[in-house]
Amino acid sequence: MSTATAPTPTILIVDDDEGHAILIRENLRAAGLTNQIDHFQDGQAVLDFFARTPRGPETYLVLLDIRMPKVDGIEVLRRFKADADLRKLPIIMLTTTDDSREVDRCHQLGCNGYIQKPVDYERFAEAIRRIGLFVPLLLVPQISSR
Amino acid sequence: MATPDLPAGSELNDRTKLERELLATVKELKDVKAALDEHSIVAITNPAGRITYVNDKFCAISQYSRDELLGQDHRIINSRQHAKEFFRDLWAVIGSGRVWHGEIRNRAKDGTLYWVETTIYPFLDETGRPVQYVAIRTDITKRKADEEELQRVVAELAEKNKELEAIVYTVSHDLRSPLVNVQGFGRQLNRACDTMRAAVAAAEAGLVPADKLQAPLDTAIPQALRFINAGVNKMETLLAGLLRYSRLGRVALSIRPLNISGMIAEIIAATKFQLDEVGAEVRVDPLPTCLGDNVQTSQVFGNLLDNALKYRDPARPLRVHITGSVESGQAVYRVADNGLGIAAEHQAKVFDIFHRLNPDSTPGEGLGLTIAQRVLERQKGRIWVESRVGEGSTFFVSLPALDSRGKTT
Repeated sequence: MSTATAPTPTILIVDDDEGHAILIRENLRAAGLTNQIDHFQDGQAVLDFFARTPRGPETYLVLLDIRMPKVDGIEVLRRFKADADLRKLPIIMLTTTDDSREVDRCHQLGCNGYIQKPVDYERFAEAIRRIGLFVPLLLVPQISSR
Repeated sequence: MATPDLPAGSELNDRTKLERELLATVKELKDVKAALDEHSIVAITNPAGRITYVNDKFCAISQYSRDELLGQDHRIINSRQHAKEFFRDLWAVIGSGRVWHGEIRNRAKDGTLYWVETTIYPFLDETGRPVQYVAIRTDITKRKADEEELQRVVAELAEKNKELEAIVYTVSHDLRSPLVNVQGFGRQLNRACDTMRAAVAAAEAGLVPADKLQAPLDTAIPQALRFINAGVNKMETLLAGLLRYSRLGRVALSIRPLNISGMIAEIIAATKFQLDEVGAEVRVDPLPTCLGDNVQTSQVFGNLLDNALKYRDPARPLRVHITGSVESGQAVYRVADNGLGIAAEHQAKVFDIFHRLNPDSTPGEGLGLTIAQRVLERQKGRIWVESRVGEGSTFFVSLPALDSRGKTT
């Protein structure tokens, strides 16, 4: 698999809260990321996106909220990890709760990271900034199995 | 004890010794019996079960005099709280010469019930057949009441715990979300202020260039205020909902026979305007009577009709068909609509607290079905859903059916 051909993944923010999505995007930009950033309103929307997107050489990083209408983040994670191609997608849970049972559940399902959205804005900005710093270091696989 | 001087081994000496031993044994038996009477409720019956002896405690707890009891059998204190098999098994055990242990609920003369822990010991003849039964009992009415109270408290605690779990979940997920926005966009307001302050400070001769103020005034500030206000409103709604949900457990239920047909007719009459407005039709078949709380059950059906209206398919006029039947002691009601329907993967979630399928297109706080489920569980009922996208949803509500015993009272 070649990661060198597509070094900058598109960042998919999956969050039903429009305000959170704006704050995440702004802080990723503030951290210097120039990646394309797309926003999905709920789990169903991101599943639909992958259902209709041909599996090409594009690379993605998913920032996934848990509590969402229709299909929640846990279910999205479960479905991604059950799919032969999509299971390679790096998924970082980015959510408000720090409930240890939720953290355990996500890790058991195979998430690549679990980060709490801190309520305190300074800490929130710092958490997102660190994700921003981390992203360029990631070697993200293509999801296509070809 | 002084012993007369008698030659050892004489016949007289042997008899006296035997008598003394006998007397000592009788005295010991009397003492044991006195001790027993002091502690226990004692009755002796003949092999046919007729009472031949009762002690004072038996008379006291049963409130019958000794004369009223002697010659009777124990049916005089039968509370009819035990099945026939219970006493049949008891007789099978003691009739075969074995000891029976158990707890019996009896009825005193004034009708009050009391519990006794009982041991029945058969005295057998040399062929092994019972010649009389000695029943020794201890009053455990208080312990039984405590046990029942304990069970009630355990059930109540389990319910409270469930409620608490839901609240903790909501606080950790839903209440934090708007706070992130209030804090985050509060910071955006600060930044906008900084930008404007810098522009004002840099202005020459008090003339602030309009273009420096335009961006924060037109974009950043309104956006921040919009998210802060939305966040505060969201928290207000969530807190009000949480309080409503947590107070449900405190509402005292008044369980009585419910005429669901009449109840639904009232709900339809109350929502006639909304139904007519969208050209909806509600058909109601004859419905069974159940046991439940009138106010709370009415809220459940009201909520279901409200949901049918909210999630109707705009492509066709709403049709709701309400049917019911009795299945193994439960009255089951079906509220079937031809609305949008719920995808299989979303169905389990519709009862989750604050879960909403279409938060943008329908009003509501996401509490209706959560409350319906809780209200029904408290009344020994249940709610569940079957649905197909594009065809409609059927919500099932079950409540204890009014049984034959209920009908006669």
